[in-house]
Amino acid sequence: MTVTVERGGRGSRSGRGSRGGDAVEAHHRAKGPHRPRDSYALFLLPGALAFFVIIVVPFLMNTGVSFTEWQGVGTPKWTGLANYRELMDDSEFWASFRHSLFMVVAMAAVPTVVGLVLAAALFDFVGKHFGSRTVAVLRACFYLPQVLPIAVAGIVWSWILAPENGSLNELLKAVGLGGLQQDWLGDPDLALYTVMGVMVWVQIGFPLVVFMAGLQRVDPQLYEAAELDGAGWWRRFWHITLPQIRPEIHVVLLWCTIAALKVFGAVYVLTKGGPGGATNVPSYFSFTTFFEKTQVGYGAAISTVLTVIILVLALVGLKLQTRAEDAEEGLRV
Amino acid sequence: MLTARRRVMAVAAAVVSTTLLLASCGGDSGSESSDGKTLKLWHYEAPNSAMGVAWTEAIKEFEKTHPGVEVKFEEKGFEQIQKTAPMVLNSNDAPDLMEYNKGNATAGHLSRQGLLTDLSAEAANRGWDKKLSAGVRTTSQYDAKGVMGSGKWYGIPNYAEYTMVFYNKDLFKKYGLAEPKTFDELTAAMDRFVDEGITPLANAGAEYIAHQYLYQLALSKADRAWVDSYELYKGEPDFHDAAWTYGAETFADWVKKGYISEKSTGTKAEDAGVSFIQGKSPILFSGSWWYGRFVAESKVDWGTFLWPESNMTLGSGGNLWVVPKGAKNKDLAYDFIDITMSKKIQNLLGNNGGVPVAADPAAITDPRSKGLIANFNTLAERDGLAFYPDWPVAGFYDVLVSETQKLMTGSAKPDAYLDAVESAYEKGVQAP
Repeated sequence: MTVTVERGGRGSRSGRGSRGGDAVEAHHRAKGPHRPRDSYALFLLPGALAFFVIIVVPFLMNTGVSFTEWQGVGTPKWTGLANYRELMDDSEFWASFRHSLFMVVAMAAVPTVVGLVLAAALFDFVGKHFGSRTVAVLRACFYLPQVLPIAVAGIVWSWILAPENGSLNELLKAVGLGGLQQDWLGDPDLALYTVMGVMVWVQIGFPLVVFMAGLQRVDPQLYEAAELDGAGWWRRFWHITLPQIRPEIHVVLLWCTIAALKVFGAVYVLTKGGPGGATNVPSYFSFTTFFEKTQVGYGAAISTVLTVIILVLALVGLKLQTRAEDAEEGLRV
Repeated sequence: MLTARRRVMAVAAAVVSTTLLLASCGGDSGSESSDGKTLKLWHYEAPNSAMGVAWTEAIKEFEKTHPGVEVKFEEKGFEQIQKTAPMVLNSNDAPDLMEYNKGNATAGHLSRQGLLTDLSAEAANRGWDKKLSAGVRTTSQYDAKGVMGSGKWYGIPNYAEYTMVFYNKDLFKKYGLAEPKTFDELTAAMDRFVDEGITPLANAGAEYIAHQYLYQLALSKADRAWVDSYELYKGEPDFHDAAWTYGAETFADWVKKGYISEKSTGTKAEDAGVSFIQGKSPILFSGSWWYGRFVAESKVDWGTFLWPESNMTLGSGGNLWVVPKGAKNKDLAYDFIDITMSKKIQNLLGNNGGVPVAADPAAITDPRSKGLIANFNTLAERDGLAFYPDWPVAGFYDVLVSETQKLMTGSAKPDAYLDAVESAYEKGVQAP
């Protein structure tokens, strides 16, 4: 049942994409010596230059600084790999990376799963029963934390989570659950999970919006056919929704994982890495090493390692995505 | 197909956009000049604070006495200047005069890097050195290694600051408690509040308040030599000596006894201040920088006293006016500093809840301000300003916050706390 329907859907998409692109290219080749692609490349020049000036050059400078001992002013002293060797033995650095993995769960894994379910529920259920306007309002509500500056959201959350008179503890007391009151951001065993909870709230709108956009391009006939064949919501979600929006899932996972690895603002506003380093993350660790301890060389080494890890993850993610798309293309042919 | 004309347009568009991009990256470093007509001034005092009020008046006074000179004042944040000062001062965008934090890790660090102007000659010529007492002057002078207390003048403070016990008179009266005159009376009062279900001390584990309690406890067993050894490297500080051990153990004990809430581990200084303003916390030990705000905002009757049975307390000259090495109008900057040292501005500062360094005592009419200044004079006379615990090495503030949080949560015992602080201190002192 599903297989037949899916094949039809993929076939039509393939026709618009790959084959259409080939035809355009052939058309251009037939036009003779003019190569529009070369001329358009000129328009990429400012962007490329900006990328070079704002990303590549500072990154190379940062990498250079990471091989030195430097306090930010004066003459840097070349120390070779000393900062990296120190980094390898720095328990604080590794602890911050462990916390980053928790952040990946909070900012990529959980929002992707919840975003998927919510998007499908809004699309399939709310949209059908309450209309598109309700869906739009709910989608905007879920997306609101993405629009709020993290500094504002962080301050509001620190009020909510305050141990004395914080809204959350007051609410728990009001409903007779006073025993569950906690020092949400001050307890070292709890603080990381609390920050993770806030980050789930911050992140959820992004996958939701991307997935809803993805769902809109899925051929409704697929769902209709599946429904006619007696497939329930869960089977339709599993066999149609998930495979159809796989590219969006890839993008969201990759984007959110990178965001999680470089998270800074929320930690800065909510806990400043505390209590006792319980919520420290590499970007905040790098920041304090740079600006508080003025160990610029060491801070540069931390941020270089962080950048390399993010780059590798991004490239692996893109490679996997391309491979998955190629495999999909192969199925079509 | 692109015609020749379109191709030219495309190239032109690319060139224009690239030029715009480069222009936007470039900034306006060439727009400033040494014309003697502009004083570029940065400070980070809130407009309604004593210093903010006084500096605003000083700007008016400066403009009156320097016709044709424009003061380009930019209000900055403390963190903003703290984090970016070395980079700004090393660039063409340095102001002519800037307020900056004092201490080895801050002004000392910049002076050692050659980013600040030596003010020694001006301090002598204009008599600023005579106006500042020895304790206040310590943070003005830095040696070649950037250690405060001796050497050239790199900054001028126009006010002083010190810590004190703020207490809620209404709550003390309600529970039949008098103003504590001794340490035992203070702890007895705190016991009484605990018995009544009230946490006596306002605290903020995520910021300076917590480690300042601990440092004050250590200071109550310390003397000038102990402070100089720790802050000025005049000797080897022993982090397991009687004073430090007493400080760490007593602080941990106070958390256990409920004098300090275990739930204040993650709270900020603002939370502690607001808790006192709202009358929820009967006692807050903190600095004179709260004074003006409490006067303006607190609805409860409150008073202050110095930490009982301690010769030393946290305090120093206030933040410094520094003149960047690259300042373009240094003479105007010196003139401005001179105005802030004048009796008129100093008296204004004193009557707005600040601690002036060169005011006319008879001109301070506000009774609370009189008390504030009298307490400072008591401290100055007994050489009791012991600076702040995070000053000795760069990055020590974060270490103290983090380690004190561990002490509060019980994840580190006092001995482990002192080990961690000692290790960070030694590492910081050895740093180039």
